[in-house]
Parts: sequence; structure tokens; C-alpha cells
Amino acid sequence: MEDISLQSRIDVLTEEQMMIQGSAEAFIARDEGLNKVRENRFQQPGFDQATWREMAEAGWLGFLLPEEYGGIGLSFSDLSLLLIQLGKGLVPAPFSATAVLAARLIVKGDNEAFKNEMLPALIAGEWKPAVAWQEARGSMAVKAEKLRCEGGKLNGEKCFVPDAGGADAFLVSADNDGATVLYRVDKDAKGLKISYEQRIDGGFYGKLSFNNVTVGEEVASAAVAEAALASALDEARVAASAELLGVMTRALEITIDYISQREQFGKPIGSFQVLQHKSVDLFVLSEISRSVLLQTAALFDGDADDTARAIAASQVKARCSDAALQVGKDAIQLHGGIGYTDECNIGLYLKKAMYLSSLWGNASAHRGRYAELAL
Amino acid sequence: MTIDYNAMDDGEFRTMLRDWLVENYPDELRFPPKRMHWDQCGEWYMTLARKGWLAPGWPSEYGGMGLDANKLVILMEEFEGYGVGRTPDQGITLIGPLLIQQGSQEQKDYYLPKVLSGEHIWCQGYSEPGAGSDLASLRTAAVRDGDHYVVNGHKIWTTLAMDANMIFALVRTKKEGKKQEGITFLLIPLDTPGITVRAIDNLGMHDEFAEVFFDDVRVPVSNVVGGENNGWTMAKALLGHERILIGSPKMASLAMIRLQSLAEVSGKFDDPVFVASYTQLKLDIEDLAAAYKRFVAVLKRGGPIGPEVSMLKIWNTETQHRVMDLMLDVAAECSGVTDPIPVGDGAVSASDEFIDARPSTIYGGSNQIQRNILSKAVLRLPS
Repeated sequence: MEDISLQSRIDVLTEEQMMIQGSAEAFIARDEGLNKVRENRFQQPGFDQATWREMAEAGWLGFLLPEEYGGIGLSFSDLSLLLIQLGKGLVPAPFSATAVLAARLIVKGDNEAFKNEMLPALIAGEWKPAVAWQEARGSMAVKAEKLRCEGGKLNGEKCFVPDAGGADAFLVSADNDGATVLYRVDKDAKGLKISYEQRIDGGFYGKLSFNNVTVGEEVASAAVAEAALASALDEARVAASAELLGVMTRALEITIDYISQREQFGKPIGSFQVLQHKSVDLFVLSEISRSVLLQTAALFDGDADDTARAIAASQVKARCSDAALQVGKDAIQLHGGIGYTDECNIGLYLKKAMYLSSLWGNASAHRGRYAELAL
Repeated sequence: MTIDYNAMDDGEFRTMLRDWLVENYPDELRFPPKRMHWDQCGEWYMTLARKGWLAPGWPSEYGGMGLDANKLVILMEEFEGYGVGRTPDQGITLIGPLLIQQGSQEQKDYYLPKVLSGEHIWCQGYSEPGAGSDLASLRTAAVRDGDHYVVNGHKIWTTLAMDANMIFALVRTKKEGKKQEGITFLLIPLDTPGITVRAIDNLGMHDEFAEVFFDDVRVPVSNVVGGENNGWTMAKALLGHERILIGSPKMASLAMIRLQSLAEVSGKFDDPVFVASYTQLKLDIEDLAAAYKRFVAVLKRGGPIGPEVSMLKIWNTETQHRVMDLMLDVAAECSGVTDPIPVGDGAVSASDEFIDARPSTIYGGSNQIQRNILSKAVLRLPS
């Protein structure tokens, strides 16, 4: 499918970036019909384990991680090119949740031994951690309150843990005597109960109940846990934004293609001005989103402080969340009746946009945080 | 002796411009709310001329600063940032570059120095009452009579025609065939007998543009640029770097600052509904700034700006309109009043701002036309 973004017209990529993009394009081209997405929908773990292994083999899971732990140490600008493609292909794998949020959280923690032991396993695709930090719907607070750790035992609950069913372990934030600490808890730990919520895109959120669960290693101590979590979450928000950009870009490409072919009243419906102007508005939204993502990735590659990064993460997540939903909705409208069928792939894009745009803070939550931090 | 500005360090160049502006640009003309007339800004125009900075983009052999794309962007940023208002600059930004590119040697030798000396102030005669968005259907006719054309017709929306003494016009020289192929680009002194200029008051009660009537106006054939019936190509050649200026977030940012002061004195920052709308607008502008930077980077690399730049115009002007909507809302009863509302040291007139913002989505190709352009040239949708 032809790329309609302005990238080839106005952006400049390094040779390395072209290679990253090229290999990611080839990766998603293998499942252009989205068969894998459909095969893995609505059944545990809600994503494709084989795809995860292939990503590990391609070296992608260590993309952002320092070389000393077996990573490749590339930049957010590089990573976003990969994530855009994963979004375009609706690739069923928890890349942002595990290879960004969990992996970066471990790096930002202060347990060197844990990093040396577990990061190589994560990069190799042999160990998948999921982060259990959220305690309430709509909350972006990183301070743990409801899950408590006393005498090495965890009691309480965590919610909205993406793809918990495929995880081997959880990185859990807990209140320990007024301070937030991050612990490792294995999936088969005694006293841990996982229930699942079906997500609209076919994956699952895990809800974790802890009943006197013995904690594993401290991944991040009280001294760094909150800051590490806040910072890793902001990185994950940028990653999710890049995926959202991919989702909206491909949804728009499919739609432009469709209205150029579909004939009514004796001509392609894409020749009607109302549909053309609607398409242009969606295109403008997607390119505004791309501009913000490029700027944000560059900021994350520089030495901006945590507040500047939080502001930028909120800016890009707000824009990409809104834009992807808008493109998703209008893509259905422009498809007409066929767009409302499950058989037509365009709906899969809207549903992915619904999941990712609400993950780690939706647009209005991020506008709210932006207002608090930047106005 | 000419200075090689391009050899200067970017920071040094910026400092030089800023220092000179502080010293030479009149304080009372900073961030002018309306297009300035010649009687306001003529002196400033001549200051620039004397300094040799009137034509930053022209090659130095023609008396310009000879700036490369990168330095030109820096100059635009510094002038804009300091609030330097636009002069009647169509000789510099439009006709000069066209003559340099397409004019005959005689035309260059005659006209270019007169732009630089301020002797010729140009205006643009394109639109007609019957040819707006569909510009190629223009009907102002130029009929050959010996060494002259006899021009009859009517131009409209001619910005600052009353301050100009020269007009470059698109005229019809052939009625048969494709309408774009019968148009000629003609240079006409406004003091030629048979020309009448009538100012038009806009909704802001400001005579910013005018109508120009041509009644048997005789123009020498040597005043054609680019050859008879090549006018459409000439007009398209004028769509240069300046197009990106319409995407600059500066105007909208300044409007937001005025909205903020108005909202503060109105106690609106305690109203969560207002704060939500305000934040949305703030982000709309910040996101535009990111897109603008992306396009400016293309210019700095010396790359071409294509039809995709229309997206900046659409986003910028429609965001500006939403800022005005909110300003009107905050002003409450005062949105129906012409006197400004006192805020801090200054005053904000929501009604003026709102009215003055109306044409941005119309001029330079209405936003609907911009969408047509993007639809065809970028999305390649069928016709």
C-alpha cells in the first residue's frame, strides 16, 4: 500500500533509520491481510507468542536498552520508526508495554544485579515482564497507595495490566511504609490471583489481586521507584503515540484507497468534494501528529529534564490519541456499511486506536496534566 | 562593498539583526494589529533601503542581501519575533524575484533599482469580481494595438493599491482555448490615464484593500513579463518561499497571550470549562509550531516547499479562528462593543480581533481551495 505520509516529501532519514524502517515494513508486509491479528483475538494471551520471538530474533526488544545489558542503545527517533510500522501492521505483541515500559523501568531502577540478570532474558524474548502500577481507572498517579507491602507480604489490587496473560512476571509498585517501592512478583506466586478483562482490540487487561503474596527482588528502591516509574511511563506514552500514529496512518491509507475505487453514482466516491475535504482533514491531523512525534522523540533523545519530558509526553499522547480516534471513526464513516462489519479490516484499526488512546492516560487526562505542568 | 552574510555564524547573524532592529525599528510600530499604510511605515521602508536590507532574498548582484535559505529563515524569525510589521512589500517579495527569474535585461535594469529606492511601490492585480477562487476565469482584457495593449476591466481585493504606484496584473490576451493559456502578466504604472483606484472598507472599517478599474488604459507591449499568454506560468512561479509564512504560529500565539490577559481579568482561569478549551487551543498552537519547524527545516536545507504546505495554512487559520471564538465568549457583552477591555497595562478588543481574523481563511486561496489542492496534489484522490 502506498505511503501517503509527508515523510518521503519533507523528512530526512539517516541510512540506519532507512534500514530500520525497511525491515519493519517487510515484517508487517508478511501479514498485510491481518490474519494473525484475527487469529489471536479474544483468546489468551491475546497476542502472538511467535511474533514476540521473531521480534527478539530481530533484536528489536533491546532497541532502547544500553549495550552493557545486551541492548542496541538506539534513540527514540529510531524507535518511533519501528513503532509506527508496528502500529500500521496492528502487530499483536505488547511491544510498548514490555520492551519499553517494563524494560526501561528496570533500567531506571537501582538493582544492578537484577538488570544484569533479567534484561538479557527480556531482550532474548525469554522473559516477559508486565508492569502492574495502576490502581484506579483514569489515574496517572505513580505513588502506590492501595497495594501495600508489610513484612515482605503484598496485599491489595492492581488493574489495567496490559497483556498480563502472556507475562512471566510482574513489576509491581507497592506502598511500603509511606514510600513506593517496585518489586518483582512471578506470575505463579502463591496468593496472586489474576482475572482478565476483554479489551476491545482482542487483547486482555489483567486485574491482579494480592493476598499475602511474598515479594520478589526489589527492582527499584524507595529512593528511586516513583521517579523511575514516572519517567518510564512517559517513555511508554511516546511509544504508544508512535504506534497510534502508525494506526491512523494506515487506516487513512486504506480509506483513501477504498474511496478511490468504490463507485457510486457512476464515479469513484473519492471524487466527491465532501469526502475529499474530510480526507484532507484526517490527513492534516495525521501530519500534525507526526510533527509532534518527531519533535517529542528528538526531545527524549536530548538532555531535557523530567518535567520537560512529561510535558512533551502529554502533548504527543493527547494529540495522537485524539487524532487516531478521529481518523478511526471517520474511516468507518467513509467506508459506509461495509466499515461496520467485523469482516472488514478497517474496524480493527478503530479498535486498536480505542485501546491505545485510552492506555496510560487518554487525551483529556494528558491535556489536564499538560495544563498543570505547562500553563 | 557587499557583505557576505551567509559566511556569518548563525548566532552572530541573529544578534546583528536584533541589535539593529532595537536601534532602528520604531517602537510604536511593533506588533501592529493591522496592515500598515505607507504614511505609517514609509520611513521604516526607507531605513531598510538605506541599510541595504530591504530585499533579503534577492541576490546581491541585484542589490539584495543574497541570503541563503537558512539565513533567510533566521531573518524572518528575527523580524517576526521583534514584531516588525509588513510594509507594502509586494515589489520585494513578488515582482522582484519574478523579474530576476523571468524578466528581460531591460526590465531588470529599469524596475529593480526602483523597488530598492522606494520609487516604485507595487500592488498585485489578480482577483476580479468574477474570478476569485477560480482565478483563471479572469476577464480583464488586453487587446493589442500597435506597440501597446489597451486594457479594460476591473480588479478587486488589491491590497494597499492606494499606497502603490505600480501594479502587476494578470490580463486576458486570448479568449479561445484553455483559459489558463490566454493570460498575460503585465506591468502597469498606476498613473496611466484611465485607471481609477477605489478603496474598500473591510469589516474592520479599515481600507486595507481596493478595487482598480481599467478604462482604455494603454500599456506598452514591452511591459509584458515572460511573453504573451504565459501569464499563468509566471503567476505560479511566484508561489515561493513566502507561502510558508502563512503557517507561522506567531499570530496565533500572540492572540493567545491577549486571550490569556483577558481571561485573567475576567477570572476565567477558575472555570474548568474555560481551562479545558484554553488548553486545547494552546496545544493546537504548540502542535502547529512543531509542524512549522518541520517545514522550516526543509527550507533551511534548501529544499522545495510543495503543495503540502497548505496544511499549515488550514491548521493555523482555523486554530486562530477558534482562539477568537473563545475570546468572544470570554468578553461576554463586550464582544458586542467596539471599545477595548482594559487588561493590565494595555487593552484587548475582542470584537476587533474577531473581525480582523475573518479573512485569514479566505485570502491566499480559501481554506476550501487549500483542501482541494491537498486532495489532488498530495492524496491523489480521483477527480
